[in-house]
Amino acid sequence: MVRAGAKAGLLGGAVLLYAAAVGMLVRLDELHLVGTQVTLGRVLLVLPPFVAAFLAVRPRVVGGRVEQPGPPAALAIGALAGGVTGAVGAGGLALVDAIGLDRVRSVFVAVSPALVETMTFGRGLGLGAAILVLGGLGLGAVGGIWRRVRHGLRRPVEVGLLTVFVLGMLQRVVPFMLDELRIERDWLYSRVTRGLTWVGAVVVLVVATAAAAYVLDRRERHGRAPLEEGRPEVRGVRRLVLAGIVVAFFAALPQLAGSIVSEIMGTVGVFLLLALGLNIVTGYAGMLHLGFSAFFLLGAYSIALLTGANLVTAFGLVAPRFSAHLDFYVALVLVVLIGAAVGALLAAPVLRLRGDYLAIVTLAFAQIAVILATSSWLQPITGGPQGLRDVTKAPLLGIGFRSAENFYYLVLVACVLAVYVSWRLAWSRTGRAWNAMREDEQVAEAMGVPTGRYKMLGFAIGGAIGAIGGAMFAVKVGTVQPGSFEIIQSITILAVVILGGLGSVPGVVLGALVLLGLPGLLTQLEEYRFLIYGASLVAIMILRPQGLIPNVRRMRELQEEERTQDAWQQIFAARQEEEAAEGATEAAS
Amino acid sequence: MSQEARTTRTLGRFERLPTRRIVLVALSIGIATAVAYGSYRTLTLPAGQRYSGSAWRDFLVLGVAQGAVYALIALGYTLVYGILRMINFAHGEVFMAGAFGSFFFADAWERSGFLDRRPVLAVLLLVLLAMAVSVTVAVLLERIAYRPLRGAPRLVPLITAIGASLFLQNTFRGLFGAQTRGYPKPTALEGTWSILGIPVQRVQVLVLVVAAAAMVVLTQFVSRTKTGKSMRAAAEDQEIAALMGIDVDRVIVTTFVLGGMLAGIAGVLFALTFGNISYFMGFAPGITAFTAAVLGGIGSISGAAIGGLVIGVLQSIGPALLLTGIHVPSPFQLKDVVTFLILILVLLFRPGGILGTGEVEKV
Repeated sequence: MVRAGAKAGLLGGAVLLYAAAVGMLVRLDELHLVGTQVTLGRVLLVLPPFVAAFLAVRPRVVGGRVEQPGPPAALAIGALAGGVTGAVGAGGLALVDAIGLDRVRSVFVAVSPALVETMTFGRGLGLGAAILVLGGLGLGAVGGIWRRVRHGLRRPVEVGLLTVFVLGMLQRVVPFMLDELRIERDWLYSRVTRGLTWVGAVVVLVVATAAAAYVLDRRERHGRAPLEEGRPEVRGVRRLVLAGIVVAFFAALPQLAGSIVSEIMGTVGVFLLLALGLNIVTGYAGMLHLGFSAFFLLGAYSIALLTGANLVTAFGLVAPRFSAHLDFYVALVLVVLIGAAVGALLAAPVLRLRGDYLAIVTLAFAQIAVILATSSWLQPITGGPQGLRDVTKAPLLGIGFRSAENFYYLVLVACVLAVYVSWRLAWSRTGRAWNAMREDEQVAEAMGVPTGRYKMLGFAIGGAIGAIGGAMFAVKVGTVQPGSFEIIQSITILAVVILGGLGSVPGVVLGALVLLGLPGLLTQLEEYRFLIYGASLVAIMILRPQGLIPNVRRMRELQEEERTQDAWQQIFAARQEEEAAEGATEAAS
Repeated sequence: MSQEARTTRTLGRFERLPTRRIVLVALSIGIATAVAYGSYRTLTLPAGQRYSGSAWRDFLVLGVAQGAVYALIALGYTLVYGILRMINFAHGEVFMAGAFGSFFFADAWERSGFLDRRPVLAVLLLVLLAMAVSVTVAVLLERIAYRPLRGAPRLVPLITAIGASLFLQNTFRGLFGAQTRGYPKPTALEGTWSILGIPVQRVQVLVLVVAAAAMVVLTQFVSRTKTGKSMRAAAEDQEIAALMGIDVDRVIVTTFVLGGMLAGIAGVLFALTFGNISYFMGFAPGITAFTAAVLGGIGSISGAAIGGLVIGVLQSIGPALLLTGIHVPSPFQLKDVVTFLILILVLLFRPGGILGTGEVEKV
């Protein structure tokens, strides 16, 4: 157990040093969550010892028995883990000091005086190191004992803290909304730091904790409502009302939250479309597609060329060699068809490839698309690295959709349609065929599912939705440049789908909101966006492969499996009882 | 068997002539025609526009040298694939880590003059340092990202590997900055040496010699030592290997160590050849090397070497040969297209690769 504590502490220390060395601590120190004291950087500084201690005292199975340290032991081990974490941090500081800050900085660019200042809380090296170690000890002790706190107390407080954190992170949205609703907000959000005020944070903490305690208590007493309760008609109405509320909220968002949020939500919408497309290929049909940025590119360039965008050349704006001057909405239909056709055509020869090879081939396609779009060879059509300009504003009845608010509505309509299509597809015959194919291709084939055809269909529909996303993006930005469609976008889209939950439409929506909305809202996070995407891909695959909001059907299938197992067990137990009874009567006679 | 039944069977065979086969044959005829036409046009260009014989020779030498680097990276993919049956997508970043790790020493030694005074020793040390860094990254990668997923469905570790690749890139970006940096070259490596009467860049000679040596050592290691034997056993069948008393986890770590060492060597050689490094440098060589591994037959060591050389040469000769004649401007922009097309075609026509084992498994 002591070893576990030390090990967790070392890991925590490594995380701490990592966050420091990549510059996160300093950069995120600018983001005030509560008052002037609590910044996101400080949260990052405080979390490692706490989490290390919390993990160090987790129950373990030793020799078939669950072992968990008692409260005093938990306190001690936790303190050890936290102390080691702090000591590693302090050791790092001392090492930097010994070598000389400037010399370290010539290699590790993020090790700056500001970093030392942040890590020592501006108190100088000696005192700062002492604070790190002692603070680590204290936090570790709390973290260790936290594991032993009764659930009924622990969960509500955790929910409360999380609520404060989320409200702090949404500091560019919520205050604006409160202003629009003419609700006094100065008690909650500070105008100076932009974060929560202490008063506001405490109020939020208390309210959220109490609410969570009430809900959890009720659930404890009445049991959790089973999935899908009630008669089907009631369920349908309930679902419609819920959907209506969600749509109404999103429809009112630009009025409530202003143009910055509209702008960000526009980007979220574009990527949501792409992710919904990928979700069909990868989530429904189970084929890993690493080249989805190709459809993004395809949609954007097609719409630009079909609606008469211009090339940027040394001689000014020129019409590209192939172009048409169609109305945006006519062109959009064509783009959908192009997306579907290209999706199916590219898929045709590679359908027989096994999963991982298919993934790499799709990646290769996407890379070829970007190289071709950039090349001088196709420059007369695609504009080369400069790309195309003057993409249509998608005018409809005299209204253009370039401005953030208007574009938001355009993309919202597209997203709602795509969500509807995804949702209907999931429960259709096609959806079931995909499902079967995903679970086991050979069995599906044997049961008479023409897998080749359904794979192509998946690629076609996914490609069509992705191409719409590309077209929307072109309208939003007004220019099309190959740099926007690099392979990294494919991985971003993949991260959205994986984080949300493969095959789960609400999951994909949440994934897009988190992975694209948050970095947009908090410019401090923007720099670490891809770092976070990468880390979350790894973490999700290891810790929660089903994603944040798992696919309902799969969950239900699993539950049903359990239920049938239970039923079998009951039958089995009953039979055994019967046999035992029979045996007893036989013995008696 | 009645006459009737036989007829239906023959007909049935005709009917089952798969469309895919037809598409593939049409595709291959089309590609062959395009290649032949492009090369013909290039080689018959008027004298002033034509590449000279020495230009082609330089392309070839460059291609071989590049190919040797690709081969070293490809070995990493092939070794890991052979044992874990997974595409280690983050291997390109292991290579990048080696180049980056040695850069700071190279830079310091250039300023202190050590690099020019003792070029042989300096380059040797750089290679060793790069190997150390790459091995560290590779082993951590295996431990943190891949080991918990042992036995998961095939796509799960691939997704993890993509995440790890992105994570590593951005970690290096955060740690060392986003800018491209010039990798110093010892003056002893400037200029050319004449080999068999052909002037060859000194760096390229170094690349070839080091890469060849590394590959010889690797082959000997895998075929002669006990560890090598257990690696081969684990590649054959992990479960049975484990039953025979082989510590499979250790074998896997060894594999990653070997892959990391080769990637580290490749990192220094690549940096010396091209003269600059950045956090993103692992991506294109990584994919190219993966293509080389697939081309040569993934899982096969000699296949990776041959695949690397073929890809290197095709990349340096292909665009000029095929595209100059049909007046495509700046054909070398399209060199990665050549690579990716080769990858796609190999997977379509001969998924087992040139030296492939002809896996029965549906690919």
